[in-house]
Amino acid sequence: MTFEMPEKGDPVIVQGITGRYGSLHAGLMLGYGTNVAAGVTPGKGGQVVEGVPVFDTVKEAVEETGARASVLFVPAPALLPAVEEAVAAGVRLMVAITEHVPIRDTLKAIRLCEESGARVIGPNTPGVILPSRRLKLGIMPAPSFREGGVALFSRSGTLMYEVADALSKAALGQHVAIGVGGDPVNCTTITECLDWAAAADEVRSVVVVGEIGGDAEERLAEHIVESRFPKPLVAYIAGRSAPKEKHMGHAGAIIYGDYGTAESKIASLKRAGAKVATTTSEIPALVSDAR
Amino acid sequence: MRLFEYEGKALFSRYGIPVPRSKLARDESQALSALGEVGLPAVLKAQVLSGGRGNAGGVVLVRTRGDAEKEAGRLFALKVGGEPTRALLVEEASEHGEEMYVSITLNRGRREFVALASRSGGMEVESRAEGAMVDVPVPLEGLSDSAASELGARLGLSGKTSAEFRSILLKLERLCREEECELAEINPLAVHADGSLIALDSKVVLDDNALFRHPEFSQLPPEDPLEGEAARFGFAFVRLDGRVAVVGNGAGLVLSTLDLVADAGGKAACFLDLGGGAQRDRVEAALRLVRGLPSARAVLVNIFGGITRTTDVAEGLIDVVSERPMVPVFARISGAEEAEARALLSGSGVPVYATAQEAVLAAVGEAGR
Repeated sequence: MTFEMPEKGDPVIVQGITGRYGSLHAGLMLGYGTNVAAGVTPGKGGQVVEGVPVFDTVKEAVEETGARASVLFVPAPALLPAVEEAVAAGVRLMVAITEHVPIRDTLKAIRLCEESGARVIGPNTPGVILPSRRLKLGIMPAPSFREGGVALFSRSGTLMYEVADALSKAALGQHVAIGVGGDPVNCTTITECLDWAAAADEVRSVVVVGEIGGDAEERLAEHIVESRFPKPLVAYIAGRSAPKEKHMGHAGAIIYGDYGTAESKIASLKRAGAKVATTTSEIPALVSDAR
Repeated sequence: MRLFEYEGKALFSRYGIPVPRSKLARDESQALSALGEVGLPAVLKAQVLSGGRGNAGGVVLVRTRGDAEKEAGRLFALKVGGEPTRALLVEEASEHGEEMYVSITLNRGRREFVALASRSGGMEVESRAEGAMVDVPVPLEGLSDSAASELGARLGLSGKTSAEFRSILLKLERLCREEECELAEINPLAVHADGSLIALDSKVVLDDNALFRHPEFSQLPPEDPLEGEAARFGFAFVRLDGRVAVVGNGAGLVLSTLDLVADAGGKAACFLDLGGGAQRDRVEAALRLVRGLPSARAVLVNIFGGITRTTDVAEGLIDVVSERPMVPVFARISGAEEAEARALLSGSGVPVYATAQEAVLAAVGEAGR
């Protein structure tokens, strides 16, 4: 299932804008040039945060601004209801920064997306950034990102910043960077991101930052082969030395037996023709080689 | 959060899944008095969360009181994967034949829950041929009677065993859904001579993120005092047994730093993710925490400053390194305000490196391999 990113200047709403985190990042998104047109916090309608009007409901915010994209900073118990409200109000793209979301709430959000054709990125994601569109839907530090032709997809937040920073310093700017989230299940998978990158003319090469746990990278490798993905791809997998049966920070970063090991992911990606970096610092050189 | 066997079995009972008669014993004398209620022969089972209990000798059949006395002493002194025995489950011994496997678990790749079952359960079921496992998807609203019957039929079950299997599977699925588990597993599910079934072990993993809807589970204190301290500050923390304590901001960043330590021939003493917004007081708390790791000979701090201000991190480091006793701290600081952070740290005794690799080499060099 495909999805569309907003264009430059498109209105965006922030759900949970009156919270400490929501207001801080609404300001930073505005500062980057993103058109944060409205905020939503139930019971706080009529307030103004960072110069942005706050509404009680998504419906009012959408009617007022025409926004079709939303960034969510709501508390974990409120995430699923907030997604349901946004979808019902006509929002098509939701970036769920919220972490600690129960797994069944995430699965329900995925089902809602399948039924409605809407799209959630996350939860537990740093968000999405498209430097050429001055579009920052998330919490990433803008100075690390530069305009260019790389599509960067990551399961980790800080590693996404670190890798973007290294790419930018090597004059390898990014068309897009998407954090898919650190949870066991992502509403938008890395594989779906890859399909998006295949269709985007601006994307010349792809960098994937994976980690231990689950089989998203193995599925990605299969998809690279089956879809004959036409662009060069560099991957890095964190957690080669991680112990088994321990959550390594992210809820999704856990090895059970032989399931979810870095070796399996690295081997699958190499078989699929990807260049695999051993450390993050090797990534820029591999990307420039690949081009 | 993983439940102990006895906690899982208490849940099984509440949902009507048959389990053997048992009693929990916190010490040797309780174990012996529990025998009076459970009878002989009995099975003594060390209550630990680590895998590989059976192979480590953590489960033993006793036929006499003398045996029980000797074995209880041994089991209370036993460690499985470094984890000490917290309690013993004293359980009636069950005469049975076949041992099956059944679980409800999240399939991450398919992004749905599935019911998994096999005719051959028991130890090391994971490493057996996958062909023996059958599965059906579990809808969010629950497993249907017909899907449960189908799974039993695919196992080739018939008669009383088939009916009991279906009933237990449906109860296990309801438990998994209502208690919001990531995994609810019965292994082995034993078959009695009359075809009836009984759950001889439990493995239940709760969804930590759903505990706010299940307050009865959230009261259990962490087993490791340092884990408790980490939880209080909202750090993601994993205790390891090497010499370099690894601290950073971001799970992926810390994970990748662990790999660099291993590549340099070192071993990490812990994984500690400060999380977003690593302010001065949180950096201080993290350093004081890792100082409590007996194996740590050096601390490696890896910070990529984005929203996090690296000058805050530097100030936190300065506050703590002047305290005694303190193991040497090595830092890699990059990103927003890194020049200012570096200037603050000059003369503090904390060397700052431009790359993670350099900082790792220095820390591993200090700590030894």
